[in-house]
Amino acid sequence: MIKHLLRLVWNRKRFNFLITLEIFVSFLVLFTVMMFVVYYAYNYSQPLGFKYENVLNVQIDVKQQSDDYFTSEQHELTRQLFLAVKDMPEVESVASALSVPYQMSGSSGVSRFNGKNIEYERDEVTDGLKEVLDLQVVAGRWFSREDDAAQFLPVVLNRRMAEAMYGAEDPVGKVFNPEMNGGKESRVVGVVSDFRKRGELAGPGNFLFTRKNLNNPKERPPRNLVIKVRPGVTAEFEEQLANKLQSVAKDWSFEVASLASLRESLFRIQLSPIVVLGIIAAFLMIMVALGLTGVLWQSVTQRRKEIGLRRANGATAARIKNQILGELLLVATFGLLLGVLIVVQFPLLDVIGFISGKIYIYSILASALTIYLLTILCGLYPSWLATKVQPAEALHYE
Amino acid sequence: MLKNYIKIAYKVFLRRKFFTFISLFAISFTLIVLMVATAYFDYAFGSMPPESKLGRTLGVYRMQMSGERGRRNGLVGYGFLDRYCRNLPHVEKTSFFTMPASVTTYDKGEKIKLFFKRTDGEFWQIMDFSFLEGAPFTAEDDKNRNFVAVINDATRQKFFGTEPGLGKSIAIDGQSFRIVGVVKNVPALRVHSFSDVWAPISTYKSDSYKKEYVAEFMALFLAGSKNDFPAIQEEFDTRLANAEIPDKEFNQLTSRAETFLEGITSEAGGPSGFMMIVIVAALLFMLLPTINLININVSRIMERASEVGVRKAFGASSLTLVGQFVIENVLLSLVGGAIGFVGSFLVLQAIARSGVIPYAEFHFNYRIFLYGFGTAVFFGLFSGVYPAWKMSRLHPVQALQGGTR
Repeated sequence: MIKHLLRLVWNRKRFNFLITLEIFVSFLVLFTVMMFVVYYAYNYSQPLGFKYENVLNVQIDVKQQSDDYFTSEQHELTRQLFLAVKDMPEVESVASALSVPYQMSGSSGVSRFNGKNIEYERDEVTDGLKEVLDLQVVAGRWFSREDDAAQFLPVVLNRRMAEAMYGAEDPVGKVFNPEMNGGKESRVVGVVSDFRKRGELAGPGNFLFTRKNLNNPKERPPRNLVIKVRPGVTAEFEEQLANKLQSVAKDWSFEVASLASLRESLFRIQLSPIVVLGIIAAFLMIMVALGLTGVLWQSVTQRRKEIGLRRANGATAARIKNQILGELLLVATFGLLLGVLIVVQFPLLDVIGFISGKIYIYSILASALTIYLLTILCGLYPSWLATKVQPAEALHYE
Repeated sequence: MLKNYIKIAYKVFLRRKFFTFISLFAISFTLIVLMVATAYFDYAFGSMPPESKLGRTLGVYRMQMSGERGRRNGLVGYGFLDRYCRNLPHVEKTSFFTMPASVTTYDKGEKIKLFFKRTDGEFWQIMDFSFLEGAPFTAEDDKNRNFVAVINDATRQKFFGTEPGLGKSIAIDGQSFRIVGVVKNVPALRVHSFSDVWAPISTYKSDSYKKEYVAEFMALFLAGSKNDFPAIQEEFDTRLANAEIPDKEFNQLTSRAETFLEGITSEAGGPSGFMMIVIVAALLFMLLPTINLININVSRIMERASEVGVRKAFGASSLTLVGQFVIENVLLSLVGGAIGFVGSFLVLQAIARSGVIPYAEFHFNYRIFLYGFGTAVFFGLFSGVYPAWKMSRLHPVQALQGGTR
């Protein structure tokens, strides 16, 4: 059957070549968009590792030139801000951080460990962050007062990073870096389930927390205060908070925003290119579908004689329909195979680094399935038309 | 004869309305996407008010301080600009201004987010804002640290509703500014001029900005003409090379006085590299519609096999037939182009109204029109030639019988 269909397709190779080409290019277009869609959908389904509800963030602009230059006055004022916020009745808990979830800025680093380079994002946070963002500690413990007196610098990793560094071994108590920031040894005290600072849509990554002690004047002042407010506190509190902070530090600037609103604006930035691409791709697919329907329709009209002859020789309507659809699917498969052949080159050449194998395969499958559905949809009307051809017509022609 | 072709084409288009619809859909959709993209680029980078003199300006958009232990990247600091970028030769006007910073203020319990830009007096002479009320602040205001501000129409509406804003005060970031002017909204795509509120540079809360080399400033130099650019750049480079660096840990400054297009495309290989990327992207995008059109055209031309047969039998040459089909096709493309124009106008209106880009308002101009027209003709020719050539090669006898397989 397939062999026969192949011959039929080959007999009309010029005509089928154009359709193959069209399906091939459609597949490439669809795949490009699908890859992002699958990537984002997969990331979104993964656990976030923190909770953003009822959390406000205050970005502090101390008008300093860089993170590494600060005065003791700036340090003291930051500490006062922290205490002032903590005292407000609406506030449940407060912490400071170098950067907070859904913020574009951040800090990253590379650690050389057992001959591997491990890249990670990092944050400097105070002990309260676990409570504010409801982090899930899965091994060891979170930072606490007892670290004040410790001889080493405590660090907390996310699970992914702990696995990347220590494999199956228990990471708690292991040396992270024998000489971190000026010679002190740093050790892992705990592991959190995850901390996807760049939000639900971002890919997985390694994360490292170092501890900030606001009472130590040698440590640079933090950039952000993260505040968990009591349930039921309304947005009007933001203004009170801003006024309070301004009254403590008159020369500084503050920007109060809820994590929910930061999340929303980050989503908008991440999604809008995909939405635009998606709309364009959708219209392209509609266009291709319409074109294909027209072309098939025309070809059925042209092949009346052939179809009529088959009917006269006893072929049922269903078989005619199957023939038309079968030819179409065969041609579509050629186009898809060609497309897949091109697309699998990308990971081999390592062009798209951030997409993992699983997402790649899902995208290929999803795109191929969409193309098949689309071609079948296009073939339905023309193949139905073919079944309406009367044998008499064919005989009449010859 | 052309009139005849048009007549035939008209009849053919009406005969198979579905095909005509598909072709028109494909052409107009492609044109809409391309023209919207063109309008967007034109709108972001072209010289238009308030940046009508953009073509005559050079800007300083980035600064890097590097040393053995690391480097610091960013926009330029006022300290460097003030010390080394004043009175460059051939420069008619010099302005320094910050990137608009996002600030939050509260008005009667309501949160208002604004963009806030600090700039100097000459800024208003390089740009031509249209003032609805009052006038810009001056160099004097900047020198005397007067707390004055110019706001845009949208900000006036947020704070004062329909009342005039002149002479009133607004509190921003813990400081109070007296409004001296209200301007028409500037779209957010205009990097140099866009903001909601403009205030003098000297109103910074602390003086530290005066020492910074890498910070949040940009500079714009207005030259007499483009021919002066090399001389300005040369002087800028000399001054940069001899500039004294305040931080001991850094020993080198890297920056450039460049045109806006050079500035934003520096990562993509400069203006020419950027243009290449844009052209390749456009061609890739047009690939699918083109194949689709060729496919449709092959089909619909086959339908007219008997017509071709008759004409061939009466002695029409292949060339004549190709000519006729291509003309028909170009005609159809032009109709699609017209629909595309209307469509892209509607899409641009919708984008402007959706508020994705604050204060966007797109205008059509002859450049966008030319691009659209060119693309429509390209489509007509390109997608018409192959099917027509194929058809014209049919043997008359075969054609009279009703085409090939």
